[in-house]
Amino acid sequence: MLTKLNYKKELENASRGMILIHDPNLLIKLIIRLIVRKVHAKHAGVLLYQPEKDCYVLTISGGKEGMKIPPGFAKFKKDNPLVKLFTEKQYREQFAKKGYLVVSDLNKLIWQESVLASEKEKKEFLNSVIRQMGMFNVLTCVPSYFHNNLLALLLLGEKSTNEGYDQEELDFLSALASNVAMALQNSQLIDDLRKEVERNRILFINTTLSLASTIEAKDKYTRGHTERVTKYSMAVAEELSKSGKVDLPKKFLENLYIAGLLHDIGKIAVPEQILCKTDKLTDEEYDQIKEHPARGAEILKTLPEFEEPLKGVKHHHERYDGKGYPAGLKGEEIPLMAAVIAVADTFDAMTTDRPYRKALSHDEAREEISKNSGIQFNPFVAEAFAKLLKKGEI
Amino acid sequence: MPKLLIVDDESDVREFAKNFFQKRKIDVLTASGGKEALSILEKETPDLMLLDVRMGELSGVDTLRTLRKQGNQVKIIMVTGVEDPEVISEVESLGVTGYVHKPLALDELEQIVMKELGRKE
Repeated sequence: MLTKLNYKKELENASRGMILIHDPNLLIKLIIRLIVRKVHAKHAGVLLYQPEKDCYVLTISGGKEGMKIPPGFAKFKKDNPLVKLFTEKQYREQFAKKGYLVVSDLNKLIWQESVLASEKEKKEFLNSVIRQMGMFNVLTCVPSYFHNNLLALLLLGEKSTNEGYDQEELDFLSALASNVAMALQNSQLIDDLRKEVERNRILFINTTLSLASTIEAKDKYTRGHTERVTKYSMAVAEELSKSGKVDLPKKFLENLYIAGLLHDIGKIAVPEQILCKTDKLTDEEYDQIKEHPARGAEILKTLPEFEEPLKGVKHHHERYDGKGYPAGLKGEEIPLMAAVIAVADTFDAMTTDRPYRKALSHDEAREEISKNSGIQFNPFVAEAFAKLLKKGEI
Repeated sequence: MPKLLIVDDESDVREFAKNFFQKRKIDVLTASGGKEALSILEKETPDLMLLDVRMGELSGVDTLRTLRKQGNQVKIIMVTGVEDPEVISEVESLGVTGYVHKPLALDELEQIVMKELGRKE
């Protein structure tokens, strides 16, 4: 008697612990292990609904080899009598009301049904269910439902003592089956949520790209420039990462990408005649152009997603020696993102033709950058850029 | 009794299938891979062979090819994991009795095997 009591206690404790497990695969594996080791089932397995195949597949199992159904080996289509019993309303109500199904109960039912000739169909159906259970050496089935959808079906072989399961064990198993349904459902929700988040992220990037293209619509020079600056910036960041001198997390790279795309967005606030002027600019005109980093930052300030990239946009014209704009930041005060874009931006300006001068060669530009390392540019960034140029990777 | 040779690299599968068909009064031999299957086939003449496609050392297709080259025309049902059109066309030319795809409907497997062994269910 005492042993039986301890056994029940053990099952209770196990079930309490299992409620905390959210990963459905892990939960099911533990349940199977429990059923085989503690409840002494010869074998147990779980059929899981697979939406891609629109059928149930025996996915996880445990127990004696030879009896245990190999994972991934067997499937049950939706028209399988055993599945129908749990999914079709009429059968479910008649035969699976208790929430579990025991083969001996079915046999009893058939004996009862055979008395009535008109119940021939029912008898045939029940026989077909018994046959399915027999094929897999299954004594008892316990379903997992979520809102009337059969998500999983637990199949149990007889106990090693050749006995069946008593009422308490069956109730306990039914409780576990509900846990499984919850875990499966939650896991599905989390998956759906992740997909939604990813969709939003893609939408965000696409919107940013659209925004970036608006600058190019206004200023012919800027077209291609933005792309190149972004490309150079990403290459430098990778080089910096490789050098091991800085640790650049994935988020930084994402933000750098966005900052690169949007670094000149402030130019939209600059009058076209100044932006596209071919002659030399007056001091006032130059001042207006110098506003574009700050203006860009203002535009992006309204959106929380742009908080980090904003730093790259606002300060991409600062100088290491503090003589830049708009804030006159010096040395390490300049955010790394901005320091990277600064070099990329200057390099692209040097290597493209202007109305007032021809483009410099890559080598000439490299020399300029090295000359200005520590003066205009952050030395680490300048070094990395020069390296890339030497390697011919830019 | 009709003889069935089951070739699969998973022991779970071999044991389960062996049990299943033995209950149906079939004599069952098993092999864990192509090489073992070939050596069994040097001594035995099963009426039918269930041959898994995806196996370690010697794949199902290679095993099949070798057998046909040797002139062994044993009836074979290929067991594939994924519907692979390349495998199917190659295997057709080598001559197989049929295929089943994992995960399989066990009653369908039973039907096809029993039919080929000339047995009623």
